[in-house]
Amino acid sequence: MQLVVNILVLASIYALIACGYVLIYRVSRVLNLAHGELMMLGAYLLVATASGLSNSPVAALLLALALSLVVGGMVYLFLMRRMTGEMVLAAVLTTVALGILLRGLILLIWSASPRHPRDMLGWENPVFTLPGDARISLYAGLLIVSTVVVYGALFLFLRFGRWGMRMRAAGQNPLLAAQRGIRLHAVFALAWGLSTFTGATAGMLIALDSGLDSTMVMIGLKAFPAALVGGLDSLAGALIGALIIAAAEVGVIRFIDPLLADVVPFLVLIVMLVVRPWGLFGTREELDRV
Amino acid sequence: MSLLTVDKLEVVYQRAITAIQGVSLRVEERQIVALLGTNGAGKTTTLRAISGFLGLDDARVTEGSIRFRDTQLENRPPYEITRRGLALVPERDKVFPNLTVAENLAVVPSRTSGTARKMEERAYHFFPRLTDLRRRTAGLLSGGERQMLAIAAGIMCDPDLLLVDELSLGLSPVAVEELTKSLVAIRDELGVSILLVEQSATVALGIADYGYVLENGRIVLDGDAQRLRDHSDVQEFYLGHTGSDRRSYRDVKQYRRSRRWYG
Ligand SMILES: Nc1ncnc2c1ncn2[C@@H]1O[C@H](COP(=O)(O)OP(=O)(O)OP(=O)(O)O)[C@@H](O)[C@H]1O
Ligand SMILES: [Mg+2]
Repeated sequence: MQLVVNILVLASIYALIACGYVLIYRVSRVLNLAHGELMMLGAYLLVATASGLSNSPVAALLLALALSLVVGGMVYLFLMRRMTGEMVLAAVLTTVALGILLRGLILLIWSASPRHPRDMLGWENPVFTLPGDARISLYAGLLIVSTVVVYGALFLFLRFGRWGMRMRAAGQNPLLAAQRGIRLHAVFALAWGLSTFTGATAGMLIALDSGLDSTMVMIGLKAFPAALVGGLDSLAGALIGALIIAAAEVGVIRFIDPLLADVVPFLVLIVMLVVRPWGLFGTREELDRV
Repeated sequence: MSLLTVDKLEVVYQRAITAIQGVSLRVEERQIVALLGTNGAGKTTTLRAISGFLGLDDARVTEGSIRFRDTQLENRPPYEITRRGLALVPERDKVFPNLTVAENLAVVPSRTSGTARKMEERAYHFFPRLTDLRRRTAGLLSGGERQMLAIAAGIMCDPDLLLVDELSLGLSPVAVEELTKSLVAIRDELGVSILLVEQSATVALGIADYGYVLENGRIVLDGDAQRLRDHSDVQEFYLGHTGSDRRSYRDVKQYRRSRRWYG
């Protein structure tokens, strides 16, 4: 039973991060390789607001979430916007550079020592015992809840929201979208904002659960296989991919060797790339364009 | 003042390939204007230059001007141009294939806020057949239905000028007949001007008030639709009427020479 809970928590983490990769890839065919760093930046934003607003913790959390949305939009408007209409490869390389830059910046501002935003905000992290004797901490539970809420909201937004439809339209054919009067830059900035927002939500909850230091980037990197296994342009795929990767990882830790944990997602990824490079739910021809 | 004035337009692709040169044309209010020409003449390039290029087109207006009402349009991005009242129905990729018919219409932003509902009703009014297809994925539509949807999405942009690239391409005569009737209705009821690109002069000159003939990136002939219909060269090369004896290539060249007479 504990095994199932562990898988669900880890899958939620991966899923919550992976949807950021999917959102940006879907609207612009760009792989955002700085997503892990942006997620980590989100967690550090919470550290920053927590030290400023330590007596109103809820406001600190909300402010950090809002800031992450803005940061994502800014990254597009000031950096990635120039890449719109250029080669996809150039844009992907730009995100790599951005990632390295952010990592350095974070070290410079917050240093490498671990931070504990939960203590700064004065919050507890009680552990609940579930039926079947499984245990789960409050913030791990919140991670699962957030994933369900975020995916539910994203599905509804993309299916029925006008801006959600515009995001799908721009992803299929940016030229036609522009010819219909859709402001491409607004759509892309929104995708970057939402992507950073969901990633930062994951980062903050992980940090609230167990603190953070600059190794958090690794979690973001491990979520990438989850997005790819599911198919980079499919949200449902990201959800299933996250479950597969989490199950494999938890299984290996439990039954083989915990030291292999960090390798497992990439092993699954390689197997997937050989067997079915467009992912479980991805569209086959989508990959040719990269 | 004309609604649209294109003056000595030159478009260069990839900084090297000149696709059109010295193209001048006008569209007046409530007019349907035909732009005729053979494959590769530069019709699509002309429409695309008017409706705006994106960075990924790697194309630029290098000379000349495009004036719409009293704004200059050359080298502006398409979303700005569409919001000024100029909508394009492209030649290929004219609908979003993974979106439903209703979604294809719903993604279009309204030019003036609060008019989305009215625009939608308008689109279904001109193309009632789309009403039953609302929930159908656009990629599954037939060619005729797809063209209807593309024009309907064009009207959703609430344009003053509608640019239509290749209305009749790959469609049955019945479908073409229906679509040309819709275009005329759109012009008559909404007062929208239309610039229509066509391979088939019969179709275009059937509804147009005025026409231009483009060849090798230059305008070689223009005039009232009636005059173009009667013009022997147009009859020969675009309407497919052959005279008693077939002309040889030398005569074609002669026609090219005689075009200066009109140009
Ligand atoms: N993206 C591009 N890059 C380079 N050259 C181009 C590009 N698009 C068009 N051309 C060239 O410009 C010229 C005009 O092409 P255009 O598509 O405007 O012709 P058209 O009249 O629309 O032809 P058709 O009737 O076949 O659609 C052609 O010689 C074509 O090869
Ligand atoms: Mg063409």
